[in-house]
Amino acid sequence: MFKTTPTVRLLLHVANLTVIAFILLPLVAVFIGSIQSERALQADTRRVLPLEFTLDNFTIILTKGQQRGRIFDQATYLPDNIKSFYTAFMNSMIVACSVTFLTLLFGSLSAYTIARQRFRWTLFLMQANIVARFVPVIVLMIPLYVVMRSVGQLNSLSGVIIAETGFLLPYAILILAPYFDTIPGELEEAARIDGCTRLGAFFHIILPLATPALAACGVIMFIISWHELLIPLILNARPDFMTLPVVIASLVGDVHVFFNLMMAICLLALAPTVVLVALLQKFIVEGLSAGAVKG
Amino acid sequence: MSTPAVTIERAPRRPWYRREMSAGSFAFVMNVPTLLCLGLVLGYPVIYAAYLSVHRVGLGQLRSGVFAFNGWDNYSRVLEDPLFWIALKNTGIFTVVTVGSEIVLAVLIALLINQAGIWTSRITRFLILLPYAIPPICNGLIWSFLYSFQFGFLNRILFSAGLIDNPINWAGNPDTALYAVTVPYIWRTLPFAIILVHAALQGIPRELYEQAAIDGASAWRRFRHITLPMLQQIIAVILILRTAFAFAVFEEILAITQGGPGDATWVAAWYSYKITFSPPNNFGMGSASAFILTLMIAAIALVYMRFIYRRVTL
Repeated sequence: MFKTTPTVRLLLHVANLTVIAFILLPLVAVFIGSIQSERALQADTRRVLPLEFTLDNFTIILTKGQQRGRIFDQATYLPDNIKSFYTAFMNSMIVACSVTFLTLLFGSLSAYTIARQRFRWTLFLMQANIVARFVPVIVLMIPLYVVMRSVGQLNSLSGVIIAETGFLLPYAILILAPYFDTIPGELEEAARIDGCTRLGAFFHIILPLATPALAACGVIMFIISWHELLIPLILNARPDFMTLPVVIASLVGDVHVFFNLMMAICLLALAPTVVLVALLQKFIVEGLSAGAVKG
Repeated sequence: MSTPAVTIERAPRRPWYRREMSAGSFAFVMNVPTLLCLGLVLGYPVIYAAYLSVHRVGLGQLRSGVFAFNGWDNYSRVLEDPLFWIALKNTGIFTVVTVGSEIVLAVLIALLINQAGIWTSRITRFLILLPYAIPPICNGLIWSFLYSFQFGFLNRILFSAGLIDNPINWAGNPDTALYAVTVPYIWRTLPFAIILVHAALQGIPRELYEQAAIDGASAWRRFRHITLPMLQQIIAVILILRTAFAFAVFEEILAITQGGPGDATWVAAWYSYKITFSPPNNFGMGSASAFILTLMIAAIALVYMRFIYRRVTL
């Protein structure tokens, strides 16, 4: 495309290295921050690489505060939430998996009918989904808190799952609908002539064909749900029901928690979705562009 | 003369659950879960937020369950609160800075990773989606470590490179704090914009560039007269989506500055959150301010639906 003279090539390499450095900067910071002690970080405030490495930050989180290691030997205070890492991880996993399953199920039922059955109200439903995607979480949270409080559903995983499913469903439909639109309608017609019901044709013929779209949508739903902070933060205040982002948010402003411990728990929390993104990059790219522009 | 009785064999009527649904009722049944979700989790709360915003709702009222109607009182109190206007102004600056830089950076980086002949571009393309995987709250905390005045990683790097002599208080200075929190947000949301632009670049016919090269058009002219016009629509999509989401920024503010120093990084969502969920817990005012934010975003959403979403196909 460009006539690439050596100077241009050099400039492009430099530009690439700049972008790569910008992308990696926070990840390098979280890694280096998590493998040193508070003392080492305070001893020399101008060093990039730590003088000594330690895994104590991870040990104390992963052993629920049992094995304190050298760093935390003298520590008299440990935030309780650090100790509930496994509970929070499991809660996050349950919420993210349930939300992914429910949004995929409801979303594909809906997206299929919107793509196939062109009624005035399905068109309206699609438009409602486009608008619904913009609703900011904060305006939902205040009334949801009041409602959940009055029906006694605060501090439960099911409340969070219902709220997140409803919140993410419009986006799932936007991602899935364009894909169902590309599957030729003759396939179900043939199946229906052979005696398949509408629902049977959907489950046996269409859904298996839509696997790539389901994968793309599913991985995006999982990631957004894993990252969601505001919904569980407001609905769940008891440690038993906190998800990982809520536990991490509870460390903000706690002056006794130092950066090293925070970086360690951040690294543990971001690992699952980083692995997902690395493995399923192709699907995410397709899902993101389908959800934004195709109609 | 009587006509012989003719009996017509009819197929036995199937029970209702074995009968084939009509297309219309099938479509309706398939959408029942979605309609329930949209109604209960999105529609009802938005309406209920409107209801709360015209009532006096505090913790005491929540306990007793009786909300007294107080008309536009919450709205006038929000609109008379100087902090609300500061939050709105900060949200505006935040949105303009983040969306503006994201569009420029997304076009530049998408062009960069589109260079097949440059081997470093392939590495960039592989890494580009990485920020999408980072939970926003972790992203915020990581940047608060980067920005830390005394122990911060950014200052360490600048010291080591010999660029500064004294530590810089990136997020603690009221003049720079708002711009400091835009960078983590841009970092996290840029992949989305780059991916959309990169996908749109694949759709530009190569012949256009070949023709332009034969005509001797410079690289700049090719970009200005071929690439940019072909990217116009996707840029509009990014502009609208990112504006709507940047308006509701929350996690990075919570993790890095909590609105501080002073009121330098109070944004609209943070205002609603603090008014509602920290003492004195004014749910009515919180709903009113959140509803104002929602109306502004709704206007953006309608523009998106009306003019952009259906026009573009990749």
